[in-house]
Parts: sequence; C-alpha cells; structure tokens
Amino acid sequence: MKYFKLPDLGEGLPEAEITEWHIKEGDEVTTDQILVSVETAKAIIDIPSPQTGKIAHLFGQSGDTIHTGEPLLEFEGNNENDTGTVVGEIPQASGVSTHDEFFIGAAPSSHHLQTENKATPAVRALAKRLGIDISQLQGSGTNNHITPRDVEKAAQLDKAHGKSEPLRGVRKHMALAMIKSHEEVVPVTINEDVNIDSWPAGTDITFRLIHAIAQGCKTVPEFNVWFDGESLSKRLHKTIDLGVAVDTEQGLFVPVLRDIGNRNQTDLRKGLNLLREDVKKRTIPAKELQGATITLSNFGTIAGRYANPIIVPPQVAILGAGVIRKEAIVMDDKIQIQRIIPLSLSFDHRVLTGGEAAHFLLAVLTDLQQKKI
Amino acid sequence: MKHNACLLEAVNLALMSEMRRDEEIVILGEDIGVNGGVFRATANLRDEFGLKRVMDTPLAETMIAGVSIGMASQGLKPIAEIQFMGFIFPALEHIVCHAARLRNRTRGRLSCPLVIRAPFGGGIHAPEHHSESTEALLAHIPGLKVIVPSSPARAYGLLLAAIRDPDPVIFLEPKRIYRSQQQEIDDNGIALPLGRCFTLREGADITLVSWGAMITETLAAADALAKQGIYCEVIDVASISPLDLDTILASVRKTGRLVIIHEAPRTGGVGADISASVAEQALVDLQAPIARVTGYDTVMPYFRLEKHYLPNCQDIIEAVNQTMEFV
Repeated sequence: MKYFKLPDLGEGLPEAEITEWHIKEGDEVTTDQILVSVETAKAIIDIPSPQTGKIAHLFGQSGDTIHTGEPLLEFEGNNENDTGTVVGEIPQASGVSTHDEFFIGAAPSSHHLQTENKATPAVRALAKRLGIDISQLQGSGTNNHITPRDVEKAAQLDKAHGKSEPLRGVRKHMALAMIKSHEEVVPVTINEDVNIDSWPAGTDITFRLIHAIAQGCKTVPEFNVWFDGESLSKRLHKTIDLGVAVDTEQGLFVPVLRDIGNRNQTDLRKGLNLLREDVKKRTIPAKELQGATITLSNFGTIAGRYANPIIVPPQVAILGAGVIRKEAIVMDDKIQIQRIIPLSLSFDHRVLTGGEAAHFLLAVLTDLQQKKI
Repeated sequence: MKHNACLLEAVNLALMSEMRRDEEIVILGEDIGVNGGVFRATANLRDEFGLKRVMDTPLAETMIAGVSIGMASQGLKPIAEIQFMGFIFPALEHIVCHAARLRNRTRGRLSCPLVIRAPFGGGIHAPEHHSESTEALLAHIPGLKVIVPSSPARAYGLLLAAIRDPDPVIFLEPKRIYRSQQQEIDDNGIALPLGRCFTLREGADITLVSWGAMITETLAAADALAKQGIYCEVIDVASISPLDLDTILASVRKTGRLVIIHEAPRTGGVGADISASVAEQALVDLQAPIARVTGYDTVMPYFRLEKHYLPNCQDIIEAVNQTMEFV
C-alpha cells in the first residue's frame, strides 16, 4: 500500500490525537514496528506498521487529530493505491493483450452488391398477402425494384395456371447434374446393333452388358477415367466402378456397382439386386451413389431403341441399351430372323478420340456376340 | 516501437509521440500537468515538455476553450482536456459559436486546429455529471468533427489524425473502457482516417452499428449470436461526425437488417440519425425495421442504478433476435 490510513481502533471511535511519532520521514520500517502512539477518548494506543517499507511522508504532527480512514503516512514508491481516477472505479484489463483487427470502411463482402428481390415494405406486404415469393420475380420498377404490378401479375398467373413447384431432392440433383454436363461435356454418340441370337434362353442380359463394358474398359482403359475440365487433367482408375441407372417414381438413381472387372456373375447379380432394392426402399447410403467411373443405362427394360445418353462428369462415357427386338438379317446370303440389342455409346470428345471409342465399342460387341462367357 | 497499452495509455502514447514530432502542440487543462490528469492520460508529459507546453489551468472551462481557440487561430495546435464531458457546457459557447465557424467566418483566412479531449460515458460508478454521453449535441454542430475511439489501437491512430486535422475535433474517450483492454500498439506515428467507420466483424445476417464503450457489449453479443448461427457484421462508427454512411449502407445492403446500439438517450440520439439516413437510402434493402438499443430518456442515474440504465449484451441479443424473426 502507498497510504497507511488511521485504522478503526475499535469502540466506534471516529478520531484519534497523535501523541508521538516513533519514526520520521526517510526511515526504513518493518512489519509490526510501532509507528505512532495515538490517544483516543479512552486510551493511548500504539499503532504498528502494516508492512515493511520506507516512509515518504508523515501526515500530521503531535497534537493533531486524525479521523479514521484518513492517511497517517505515505510509503515510498508503491503505486498500487493509485486507482487512476478521482471518481468511481475504472475497470481493469484482465492482462491478456489482443491484436486490434478491423477493416477501415466496409467489409470486403459488403462490396458485392445484391441487386435482386428489392421491394418496398408495402410491396413485400402485398406479396405476403397474395402468397407470392418475391425471390422468384423480376422487378420492373426503378432500379429493377419489384413493383405492386409485378406482384399482381405473378398472382394472376398462379391463379390461372397453378403455382410452379420447385424441384427437390433427387430431381433437383438430376437437373443440376444435367446442366453441368451440358455446360462442360463435348459428347459424341455412336449407335450399333449387336446380334445376340446365339444367347441361350434365360441369359442375364444386364450381367452380359456389365461384362461387355468391363471388357471394353480393359481393352481401352482411357474409358475408365475421371476428367477435370478446369485443370484439363485425367485420373485413370484401377477398378471399374459402374454406375447403373435405376429409374424410380421419385426420380433417377445411379447406384454404383464396384469393381465389375474382377467379380463373377453370381456376386455381381447379388450386388446389383441389393442396390436396386435399397434404391426402391430409399435406404441406399449416399456413398453407394458416389464414385462411378462409367455408367450403364438399360432403358430397354421399358421402351426405346437408340438414345444419346448424357455423360455425367467427371466420367467420360456412358453406354445405353435399348429394347431387344427380332430383325430380319442377311446372314450367309440368307435372310434370317435374329435377336438384336441396340446400343448407344456416348463419350466425351475432350478426352477420347473417335478411334478409341470405336475400339471400345468393338470390344463390347465382340464380348456380347459370344454365346456364353 | 511497440507497446502493450490500454486505451488510456494509447492516448498518452499518441500525445507523447505527436508532441515530440510537432513543436506547435501545447496541451492544457485541469490537473493535466503535475498530476498527469485525473485518469493519467497526460502522465509524464509535463516532465518531458515543460511548463510552456503542458499547462495546468484553473477550473474554468470557458477560459480553457477560449484560450485554446485563440492559440489555434494564431498558429499553435492546442489540445485541451475537459476533465469530464459533463463539464464541457461552460465551454460550449466558445466551441459552437467560434471554434466551429472560424474557418467559415473568415472565409478560410483562419482555421482552428484544435482538439478537445474529454472522457465520457457511464459505467464507472461516478457521481452526478460524470457519466453522460452527449455526443449527439456536438455532432449536431456543423464545423465540428466528433470522434469516439473504441480500442487502444484505434484511439492511438484516431487521436493522431485529430491532432493533425486543420479544424476543431472533439475527441471523446469512453472512460469505462479506459483500462479494460490491452493491445499491442506500434508507436509508428501512423494515423487512422477520420470520417470512416471500422468494420470489426464480417457477417452476412445482420449489421450491428455502435461506438465507444458499447462496442464491448456489441462484440460480446455478436459472439453469443454466432453460436446460435446468426452472423453479425459489427461496425464501429468511430467518427460520429462526419458520419461514414457509405460503410453502413454497404453493410445493410448486404444483410438487410440493422441494429444500432448506443449508450446515450434514445431521443435525438445519433442512432436516430443513422436510422433515418438508412431508411432514406436503403429502404428496399431492409428486411426488417431498424432497431435501436439505447440508454433511456431519463437523467443518467446514480451509480446504484447505473447498470440498469446502460444497454447490456442481453438487450442487444434480444433486439437482434426480434429483427431476425421479422418476416
């Protein structure tokens, strides 16, 4: 402490008279050393020093009256009693030093002007009343603000034709994937018919198609890659993970059948059935829908002959199979009725050449034309 | 040279630094010399710069302002301390009728490069007249700049700018945070701009605008709200006059929501003016009414009720939640 004040000497006495100082200014004193004798209304009391230190100043001479709480003496050097204010209390820092961080003026993100969906409160209220989502509107007013007329027109349109419904979930995902494909990919589609008349009855068509794709990829490994259009780089995969398009009422799902190049028919069929079931029950985990390296779309189970299947980046190819039909074919100079499966192969011409695609297709054809595998 | 300093020490550092750089600077006020100021803002200046540049004055604010204006108009750069902002009123006649209009009156022949420093605001359990926030009174006067720092580093940079400004600047120091925060300050003599806001936090959901000591509660509220998933942009106005409306508008155009926090009474406060300007210029960007969290339209209470008067962190959170919930 810096100032030693006259302590409460008990008995509720408000003051005391200094009778004798036992020390003088400049003296070094120790704790409990008697500093001063004071006389109260009841007794003479010796007051000990509360601390060790050097006396800087004595307040009062013998005979002076000091009130309780008033300074008796001042110790040297010690500043802790300086509260740094004449009134009140100034809150002190916790001792942790921070670095001052700020932008002069606006934050960088505030410079991106948002221009859409601006409307006065009255127009917002109108939109709310008419059930119009102004984020769907184009403003025709000053600075493209949405006007009451814009809201009313939208309300009339809704009344006449019903509300437009935003795509959700799988369908929204499909829409976005297709837009991305359309923006990025340079697709070429080749169509070909394959004679599969030699197949024994009961042949698993899907399995044959899967096997043929695997053969194609083994012949032309460049089909089993991911391509990054930003960096123009491709990633060759060791395993062939086939996306199998499954159409449901909810929309299009493409679960992934892993490593089709190294699994037997029973195993693949079991895996495919499981995936299809999971898709129908909507219990398929998200990771089973990711990571395909090439895709099969077997729309022939429903209808259609040829298509231009859409490649989903980063994949670079997709094979579509249409409805199997019987056709009159010239074989050995005779017209014969044969079973034909129509194929549509789309490939990304940014990554693959027409020649590579033709070789891939040839490998697929050759595999499919075999009686058994 | 780098120092670890609180806001008060930053003020001292800026005064010391600028007085060494510019010999025309003199400081004057009550108890500022031998005593070093009642808060110690001017500690050690008398020892370094002597009687002629560091002058203790009588308790006479009228005289302090008058003498300062005289010195400023004749080539010196006085920095006057009004011991508490509550004591500035005897000086107002000089400040409003002369300092603020000297340049205009003389058609630019005389200017008034004067800084008037005053601690202001509540929260330190002080007696009557020691706790008010009357920045709006001064911001209303054309010709005065009114600056309120809210951190040690910004106090340093803004005070340098105030001293170098060729016109009168009122520099109001929020005494509640005089010693509540330590920052590393590079005593490099680099000033911050006057007339600009400082964006302390970037956020996309809502804009919180405040100044002075209330920045503490505003940042605490922003932290708490971030845990709820509401990201606040926090703007320290710093320059009450001239007001950097561009920065506030840019932020409101992004977030669409605005809460203004100040300690001063609501009626006729600076928050009212910011609110009106934003409504005028960014009506269609607002997604909710502008909210204000302020002191009450009452006499500042004595210290027992002081904490009920001052806006707190919870008040700000509630105002933000109401604004966010407005559809």
